[in-house]
Amino acid sequence: MFQSALILIPAHNEAASVSAVVREVIRRTGCRVVVIDDASTDDTAVIAREAGATVLTLAVQLGAWGALQAGMRFALQQEYRFVITMDADGQHEARELTRLFAPVYNGLCDVSIGACTSRGSKMRKIAWVFLKWISGLSMEDITSGFRAYNTAAIRLLAGRDATLLEYQDIGVLAHLKRNALAIAEIQVEMCSRASGHSRVYSSWLMVAYYMVQASILGFSKRARK
Amino acid sequence: MSYVNWISATIGLLTAGLIFYLVRRDHLHTRYALWWIPVAIVMAILGVFPQIADWIGRTLGISYPPVIPLLLGLVAMVVKILVMDIERSRNEVKLTRLVQRVAILEKRLEDKLSHSDKTD
Repeated sequence: MFQSALILIPAHNEAASVSAVVREVIRRTGCRVVVIDDASTDDTAVIAREAGATVLTLAVQLGAWGALQAGMRFALQQEYRFVITMDADGQHEARELTRLFAPVYNGLCDVSIGACTSRGSKMRKIAWVFLKWISGLSMEDITSGFRAYNTAAIRLLAGRDATLLEYQDIGVLAHLKRNALAIAEIQVEMCSRASGHSRVYSSWLMVAYYMVQASILGFSKRARK
Repeated sequence: MSYVNWISATIGLLTAGLIFYLVRRDHLHTRYALWWIPVAIVMAILGVFPQIADWIGRTLGISYPPVIPLLLGLVAMVVKILVMDIERSRNEVKLTRLVQRVAILEKRLEDKLSHSDKTD
């Protein structure tokens, strides 16, 4: 089942956790793993390669979404039918991969999201309620990067129009929905972050910046009823 | 001409001169010159003949004519900056996709080179 899939892990300075994540994924699924090194200044690329991943190194830091899109374009070029995205920090559990991938592999939906709504502080939950309202999205977990995509979704997200979506959550989900792709949510277990802390929620300023950006994106990309 | 007119004339003509110089020396790309040359001309004319603002003010019923060049300048700047941000967004798309493409190409190259090493 994982023969036709590519696992994409965008990573910026994740030398501490990327090796474990890559090894665990390969051990459990035998799937090809691509780590997109987003202009890291540490040994992320070398360590990921040693762990068995294919590494794409970006010359300029593009952010998580830019890195993921690079992976999507690579997947299309290498003719993979499916893509599964994961974070490099160890939050996403490799053992949930089969459950996450199955609905997409079996054609039940175009995209599946590994949702874990019990994570996140009260603040984050309130933020989610607001963002869901403004974008018209009905998913439970809109910020989860643990997803599986089929060919239709990959083609859409690798395109020009998807380039400036900035964060992979609202913008991407709204874009998918607008193009009438079917999105399903699977409840999964997630670990608390193994190393480092959330880049988006690292300071009030960042949170405010993120909220404004996400709101604008969500509102502007609302699907027409 | 009162001394105020000398100041406005100097500013207008100097700015106009600077813009023309930059265009001639290719520091300012022709595409942007399309915007800046008219600006230079307007600044030169208004600088030498600030009475024009007064005339416009009288015709349009604006009670404080000196505000007209100021207003025009501000509106022009808002439009210009908006257009600049739009263009910057377009450039960002190009740059992002270029960086992605280079990364993929480098990978292909790396694979080809190591493959040919192995077959030696």
